[in-house]
Amino acid sequence: MNLIALVPALPLLSATALMVTTGRLPRRLVAWLGAGSVGLAALCTALVAAAYGDAGGPYTVHLWTWFAVGGLEPGIAFYVDGLALVMMSVITGVGFLIHLYSIEFMGEDASFSRYFAYMNLFVGAMLILVMADNLLLLYLGWEGVGLCSYLLVGFWYRDPANGAAARKAFVVTRVGDTAMILGLFLLFTQLHTLQIQPLMAAAADEWAGGGWLPTLAALLLLGGAVGKSAQLPLHTWLPDAMAGPTPVSALIHAATMVTAGVYLIARTHTLFLLSPAALGAVAWIGVLTLLLAACAALAQRDIKRILAYSTISQIGYMFLALGVGAFAPGVFHLVTHAFFKALLFLAAGAIIHCLHHEHDIFRMGGLRTRLPLVFWVFLIGAAALAALPFTAGFYSKDAILLSAWEADPWLWTGGLLGALLTGIYSFRLIFVVFFGEATHEPDRRPGWKMALPLSLLALLSLTGGAISLPLAPAFPVSTGHAVNHTVEYIGIAVPLLGLGIAYLFFLGRQLPVDALAGRGVGARLRRFWQRGWGFDTLYQVLWVTPYRALAHLLRGEPVDALYNLLAALCRQGHRGLAALQTGALRWYATTLTFALVVVIAIVLRGAM
Amino acid sequence: MSGAELQAILPLGILAGGIILVMLQIAFRRHLATSISLSLLTLLATAAAALEGGADMPVTPLLQADSFARLFTVLFCLAGAISTLLSTDYLGQRDDEPEEYYLLLLLSSLGACVLAYASHLASLLLGLELMSVALYALIAYPNKAPLPLEAAVKYLMLSGAASATALFGFALLYAGTGSLSFTGLGQALDANPETGVLLPVAAVMVVAGLAFKLSLVPFHLWTPDVYQGAPSPITGFLASVSKAAVLVVLLRWFSDANLFRFPALVQTTAVLAVLSMLVGNLLALLQDNIKRMLAYSSIAHMGYLMIVFAAAAAPGQRDFALEAASYYLIAYTATTLAAFALLTMLGAGEGGREHCQLQDVSGLFWRYPGPAILLLVALLSLAGIPLTAGFLAKFYLVGAASGSGQWVLLGSLVIGSAIGIYYYLRVVFYMSRRPGEYQSRPGMTRFWPVRLTAWLLVAAVLLLGVLPQPLLHYLASIL
Repeated sequence: MNLIALVPALPLLSATALMVTTGRLPRRLVAWLGAGSVGLAALCTALVAAAYGDAGGPYTVHLWTWFAVGGLEPGIAFYVDGLALVMMSVITGVGFLIHLYSIEFMGEDASFSRYFAYMNLFVGAMLILVMADNLLLLYLGWEGVGLCSYLLVGFWYRDPANGAAARKAFVVTRVGDTAMILGLFLLFTQLHTLQIQPLMAAAADEWAGGGWLPTLAALLLLGGAVGKSAQLPLHTWLPDAMAGPTPVSALIHAATMVTAGVYLIARTHTLFLLSPAALGAVAWIGVLTLLLAACAALAQRDIKRILAYSTISQIGYMFLALGVGAFAPGVFHLVTHAFFKALLFLAAGAIIHCLHHEHDIFRMGGLRTRLPLVFWVFLIGAAALAALPFTAGFYSKDAILLSAWEADPWLWTGGLLGALLTGIYSFRLIFVVFFGEATHEPDRRPGWKMALPLSLLALLSLTGGAISLPLAPAFPVSTGHAVNHTVEYIGIAVPLLGLGIAYLFFLGRQLPVDALAGRGVGARLRRFWQRGWGFDTLYQVLWVTPYRALAHLLRGEPVDALYNLLAALCRQGHRGLAALQTGALRWYATTLTFALVVVIAIVLRGAM
Repeated sequence: MSGAELQAILPLGILAGGIILVMLQIAFRRHLATSISLSLLTLLATAAAALEGGADMPVTPLLQADSFARLFTVLFCLAGAISTLLSTDYLGQRDDEPEEYYLLLLLSSLGACVLAYASHLASLLLGLELMSVALYALIAYPNKAPLPLEAAVKYLMLSGAASATALFGFALLYAGTGSLSFTGLGQALDANPETGVLLPVAAVMVVAGLAFKLSLVPFHLWTPDVYQGAPSPITGFLASVSKAAVLVVLLRWFSDANLFRFPALVQTTAVLAVLSMLVGNLLALLQDNIKRMLAYSSIAHMGYLMIVFAAAAAPGQRDFALEAASYYLIAYTATTLAAFALLTMLGAGEGGREHCQLQDVSGLFWRYPGPAILLLVALLSLAGIPLTAGFLAKFYLVGAASGSGQWVLLGSLVIGSAIGIYYYLRVVFYMSRRPGEYQSRPGMTRFWPVRLTAWLLVAAVLLLGVLPQPLLHYLASIL
């Protein structure tokens, strides 16, 4: 299947071309290259997917072995099964729409070519991540998307705040990546392979009895997943990462990269199933994250930060699904979330684009009549996010909640509470932005390159629930369960309740929201939530300040002394040895003789 | 000599024939372009003939035709061709008209190829001297400057002393065993294992003589002066081909005669390896002249390579060690040539002065991004960064050292590489300085064959790092 290899190759080639030409290409050509390569990759993916049903079974494409030396044989090879195919479709499909949108959104930016070079590189790296047949190649993609995230968050690098946000994203995810590479080392030393399928088989074989090894390995991988997917306690980077251009947030920080952690756990689910403790940790991390992030989303004013916290919260749902063993619903939610969250980000981007880069929702207002298309697609996106019936989000979230109910009613309660909060903050956004008094007049309307992706994504957000994903062979088959109708009805009712509360608070004004959040405990809580539960402050106090104090304390003395000593030793060694290089032939000849005597002495001593 | 034997050493025949042709051409009618074209054609034809393959057989007691010899003949001839191309640009910038220069380069390449085929101490000496004597003249060729002449005289005198040492060793070996051929020596040693002191001492004298050519510590003092004085293309040839050829013949001698049986001898190679790794890297540390820095770095790299002798002495490790050495030599040759290609491409200063100080490359990224990438790739490969040839080469050595339990050598390799990163990256830092921070502004060659060659070298270094498996397969199959 040469088509399979083409899928990541096309965006990577385009990225290379754009980087090598360093912005000397005309804009039209850059746009064609940037969006066209991803579009072609999407087409290839579609062809592969079409053939997948007929031929059946996963494909393995072995391109070449990097090297085979001393037992380590890292291959450049792809493994495409249902799960990988689903991810590839999302990455290339949603990715293409976002690229198309970007042509207009970034149309006036001076670094147009650089933008598409990074975006294409990202798509290529992300495809490598999901298609890799071994964990080493997966790690390459993993680091590649991390790099692109850094580059794109700090895309407008002239503002130091953006650079700081980019560094924060990079450093915080690095904490998780370090855990993950340790996990890779552990797996390789214990099971002697990094190829995912044999590795999972070996794990199931050798670690069948449980024990602490599978738990440790799973927890280390979970560390990587938590960092990349912005879950507790490593979620603090994502709200700041909104400093990048909005399409970047849609592609990287909503639809694809942040779900890499979900993909990793789904991919290595055999390992997680061996360790109930690790699986439980996944579920509880998910529930806690989704609740905390949903509360934080309630208190934000910046439209992109609301969506960022909402993303963290929705990924929490995916983790919850994975943690209760409902892998297929988890991945299903990943897909629908990619649709509606990309839609919401792009729509938010359209608003920002048309309103002179205004981010504060309380300074928007009344956009329903002025940007009707944006209003309707945003409404569809918000409905899907809140999981109102018959939207795509409803089907996936419903499946997750049902699985959670069967595993542990407490988890279900958490998920339900989250659904209520989701309903409130989604429609708070709608009511505040699109209804009420108009304060700003938009200075332009989105063109077709923006409208088309928005409309298509809106369609997918509505009907995406009907797509059946070819996930059956990749995951253990869930036993058919009797649907508890009461639980289901509650699941349907709660988002509607949230919608109602939002109506009473923000549109009907029957409930005094300002009085509630304006003073006393309410105000303090609002500020606390607005600062994201104070995690940044906590980490500042817990890590950054002590670290800096320690660094200050140790500056120069005494730990550095060791390293300075090493450096000084090297320098002295250099000077001492360089003094021997006199340039005098006589001295060179003398040392030659002397050296000869020394080596003969060594041999004589050994031979005697 | 039979027809089959002649066919087996066809590459050497073509090279020698080409040399005679160029010599006659110069005698009858001086024409620079013809000499250059004939030289290039000869080298490429030789490489093609060696690539074509042939029978594995001994040709007279002196030469052994096999895949190993042919592989390195291809390498040396390609390196010779690259050096020829670089030289035309280098000398062209300095208004010199040296037809004989290319003849000497051909002769030196022939010497290197003979070393690859040598299976007898006589042919070893012949190849070594052919290669070295031509190099003395090449080093001194730009006779307007004092440095090249000084370098040539130093190299001539010290190299003569080293050759004499090796010759003394040959004589002692002959006195002890009555044989000069590699396998004959091995058989004599097999027949009479009680050797006493004489034979190991004789062998170590040969090793010492060759260690001088490899510039292993403590036989290294000449290296920076000669590297700095020689014209850059010749320094590249000296650093890559002449080193690799000597190492190839040393490897063949050790394995054909099974000299790994002398623990004291193996121990000596290990001592030389450790000293070279540490001293070479330390000497390069604060070097401001890139050519001298590369000279010290080559000392360190030869030290890394000497690990394979100790590794091959361990039971069952020999093939892997030889594979490691072969890959390392190929990777090192390509990388070194790439580095010197850049130094050649920098335009000449006043009076033909070379631009090889650190400040000459400062800001290179901003002025000439393409050539800067060439040097960057070469430096990263020398430092052993993944996805370059140098990484895999070092990975091989680590595998060989750990497989045979040579922990001291492995430790020195790690320490040496760590020091190495500093001075390789130092050059990169200079290259990435903003414009305005530098004074020196050397030009850049516009000669397209040199630019093309430079890019091919970059491609080779990256290809060897990313897609080395075909070569590794081939190496494993011929050892």
